[in-house]
Amino acid sequence: MSNDLDAASDATQTTATDHSDTRDDISALPGVLGTIDLAVARLEAVLLAAGVLLMAANTIANVIGRYLLGSSIFFSEELNRILIILITFAGISYAARHGRHIRMSAIYDALPPKGRRWMMVLIAAVTAICMFALAWYSFGFIKTSAGQGRLLPSLQVPVWWTLVWVPLGFTLTGIQYVLTAYKNVVEDDIYLSTNVLEGYGRDDEREV
Amino acid sequence: DTWRYAFEEALEEVQGKFAQKFKEEIEANSDHEVQLFPFGTLGESADTMEQAQAGILQFVDQSPGFTGALIPEAQVFFVPYLLPQDEETLQEFFRTSTAINEMFPELYAEQGLELLTMFPEGEVCMSTQEPVHSPADLNEVKFRVMTNPLLVESYQAFGATPTPLPWGEVYGALQTGIIQGQENPGFFLESTKMYEVTDVITCIGHNNFTTAVMANKQFYDGLPEEDQLLIQSATDAAFDYILDYQAGLQEESLQNIREAKPEMQVNILSEEERKPFMDTAVQVEEAFIDMTGERGKAILDQMKEDLEQASQATSG
Amino acid sequence: MATTIFSIMIVLLLLGFPMMIPLIIGAFVGFYSLFGGFGQMETMVQQLVAGIRPASLIAVPMFIFAADIMTRGQSAGRLIDMVMSFVGHVRGGLAVSTAAACTMFGAVSGSTQATVVAVGSPLRPRMLKAGYNDSFVLALIINSADIAFLIPPSIGMIIYGVVSGTSIAELFIAGIGPGLLILVLFSIYSMIYARRNNVPTEPKASWGDRGRAVRGALWPLGFPAIIIGGIYGGIFSPTEAAAACVLYALILEVIVFRELDLKGVYETAKSTGLITAVVFILVAAGAAFSWVISFAQIPQTILGGIGISEMGPIGVLFVISIAFFIGCMFVDPIVVILILVPIFAPVVQSTGLDPVLVGTIITLQVAIGSATPPFGCDIFTAVAVFKRPYIEVIRGTPPFIVILLGVAVALIYFPQIALFLRDLAFKG
Ligand code: NA
Ligand code: NA
Repeated sequence: MSNDLDAASDATQTTATDHSDTRDDISALPGVLGTIDLAVARLEAVLLAAGVLLMAANTIANVIGRYLLGSSIFFSEELNRILIILITFAGISYAARHGRHIRMSAIYDALPPKGRRWMMVLIAAVTAICMFALAWYSFGFIKTSAGQGRLLPSLQVPVWWTLVWVPLGFTLTGIQYVLTAYKNVVEDDIYLSTNVLEGYGRDDEREV
Repeated sequence: DTWRYAFEEALEEVQGKFAQKFKEEIEANSDHEVQLFPFGTLGESADTMEQAQAGILQFVDQSPGFTGALIPEAQVFFVPYLLPQDEETLQEFFRTSTAINEMFPELYAEQGLELLTMFPEGEVCMSTQEPVHSPADLNEVKFRVMTNPLLVESYQAFGATPTPLPWGEVYGALQTGIIQGQENPGFFLESTKMYEVTDVITCIGHNNFTTAVMANKQFYDGLPEEDQLLIQSATDAAFDYILDYQAGLQEESLQNIREAKPEMQVNILSEEERKPFMDTAVQVEEAFIDMTGERGKAILDQMKEDLEQASQATSG
Repeated sequence: MATTIFSIMIVLLLLGFPMMIPLIIGAFVGFYSLFGGFGQMETMVQQLVAGIRPASLIAVPMFIFAADIMTRGQSAGRLIDMVMSFVGHVRGGLAVSTAAACTMFGAVSGSTQATVVAVGSPLRPRMLKAGYNDSFVLALIINSADIAFLIPPSIGMIIYGVVSGTSIAELFIAGIGPGLLILVLFSIYSMIYARRNNVPTEPKASWGDRGRAVRGALWPLGFPAIIIGGIYGGIFSPTEAAAACVLYALILEVIVFRELDLKGVYETAKSTGLITAVVFILVAAGAAFSWVISFAQIPQTILGGIGISEMGPIGVLFVISIAFFIGCMFVDPIVVILILVPIFAPVVQSTGLDPVLVGTIITLQVAIGSATPPFGCDIFTAVAVFKRPYIEVIRGTPPFIVILLGVAVALIYFPQIALFLRDLAFKG
């Protein structure tokens, strides 16, 4: 939710990236589906945080290994690559949930509210289609990769293991955009994402 | 038709020279056009390999060492002192080797690739900050190697501390002292400016960087016979050309380096100095067989046999 | 094909689609028309993933993480208090300090994105508090980050050096002159801006206050010590220095200052991951799109038609500058270098241009490109980190881009700006 004061307009706030909008995840779905959705959101959040912390630990451990133990961690680079894929693809659906994907909205901003609402339906629908298409092709890519049996040189694990979050991330992102389109169709307000209402008119809420 | 050909080096480096000759031959003798894609323009080595397997690229040059993730046996080229140290024998070896000309094509075919040829790119030398005359001189030296288990094993056996580092960070790391050494063939030491940030080049004859050119197999098998012959003869012409180009290239590169940096020390180790390095080969061979099993052992044995024959042919 | 793709992308962009969509659809259309259908889309996925593979990208989340911990806690505030005690009374002093901090940070990092985060995160709130306008602040940060690309080490120069066979050591030295010139010009502009907009000054601090401010910043001064000492002392690579900063920031804020509890660390890590994902999905989509451009040999086609071989050296340098500037508006800078440098190599050689000069000009253009709309990693990073709308992030950039392009032109007519130091060091 973007009703928190923006870091820029409130000059006394010194946090670079306030995160209050992502602290409480809520689901747009009712009942059991909502519970599942919430669990997925929780999982994405944990993976994001764990990915970043592991990356820092892994990189530092490599330095310590090199200097104190006289031997580098050979899988360090491979592990970081796995983590960056995890962070990116777990993160895109989490970002979609919170309406954080970067957009440039020159024409959009000039439209009247009703136009913006239907524009948002179109944007969310097209974005969802792209995400599902990419999910499908990345699933195919993983299957091909698994068929070739390529291994990571140091970890000696199949390369396709490192990619499983790619189709999953695209699928979950696609679902978020479908829900966003749906919300904009059935409700009168404009939703940037399932969780984020477009706070138009108040400059400090016009998030990205 | 337009055929696309990707390789792992810049246009004016060895693989690029080979590709240019190949293109020239094809275009002179047919209506086909060959588009060349140097290093990085279509992704990394593993990417272009996959694109060749998918049939997007008709031709790809990938060094067997990098193919290791796909064809483990190809890592045999990282076993030290397996390839001849003498240039004439080396060329004879590549022309006549049963392992290279008969066994490897089958392994590549399993991955949907038609192996057209393998060729050497030049002797791999070390560039370090301090002179190296024996494994003892490598003690405590943090030596950058590619993340390949056999290379790591080799440099551990040589007495160094193998240190993996992404290629983009090697120049800077040598400059600031995170690492004190790295290895590459002569022309690459020159073109990547590694000599600017190291003081000594040492050649111990442990390896000659080998690369392989292949075609997408489905594409190749689907060609009319005249086109297959065209590709074969273009490959042969480029192979002869690159062996000629190779003759003296190593000396030339080292000479250019000496001119660019007169204080550079270039040491070619004597037979006697090489001995302790050569003794470590057994250990790496064992690691190779552990990794690749029976099939790997068969390739290794055949290569040794081929080497024997090549040195007999050139000495007799 | 190229015209269709670019038109579609611009329209989608203006309509307000998430920025990954124009890139993804651009790549979709490209793959579809190149291969006559959807048969090769798996390669598009391959390139998406390949785009976020370079090891140097790891530095970005690490610096975001460290900077976020520092700004949430006390480290950043104490460091800036110290700077302010020295420059607070000078009109525009804080803006000049920001540009200078980008330059210094550039001396250890080859990444403009990392510079945006590491310098921008702590300094932006303070500049806003001091009365600067946000659009000026954002533009100052993303454009000053360009300097990091010119000041060694620079990944752009390393790649140019390898592709063109030019001495990397000479390139590094040649980048210093233009880098410092940009710093001076940005500083002058900042002071003029501050005067024009009446940005208030603080009363001049006494030496006693300055001493206290320095003492208060003793712990946080460990950050520059770790980064500069660690890298030039041969202990870390730049990426590892970023991770070491994370560790040091955690030690300071969790143990020494006790500003952050474990829950706070978790929230910060999550927020870092979110920002990273938002930026990296664009890097990934950009890589897939770049692949299409490269595979279809679009630059070769365009450049083949303009008769560059008849131009003199000045003309060639202008064409090179324009080509790299336009290329970097749409495609990842590193890919632009890899594709365009070999295309220009013959004409550079035949006109007898100094490859070090050409490399410096290219590096400058590439740096400008990463802060130029529509597609620029520095812009994306600023949008994600500072949570401001895209339009607002780029609103203040025109004066800076004019200055940068001015330097680019000056470099063409007065190559000594770059070559003076190089000649001093190598030709003496
Ligand atoms: Na730099
Ligand atoms: Na740009």
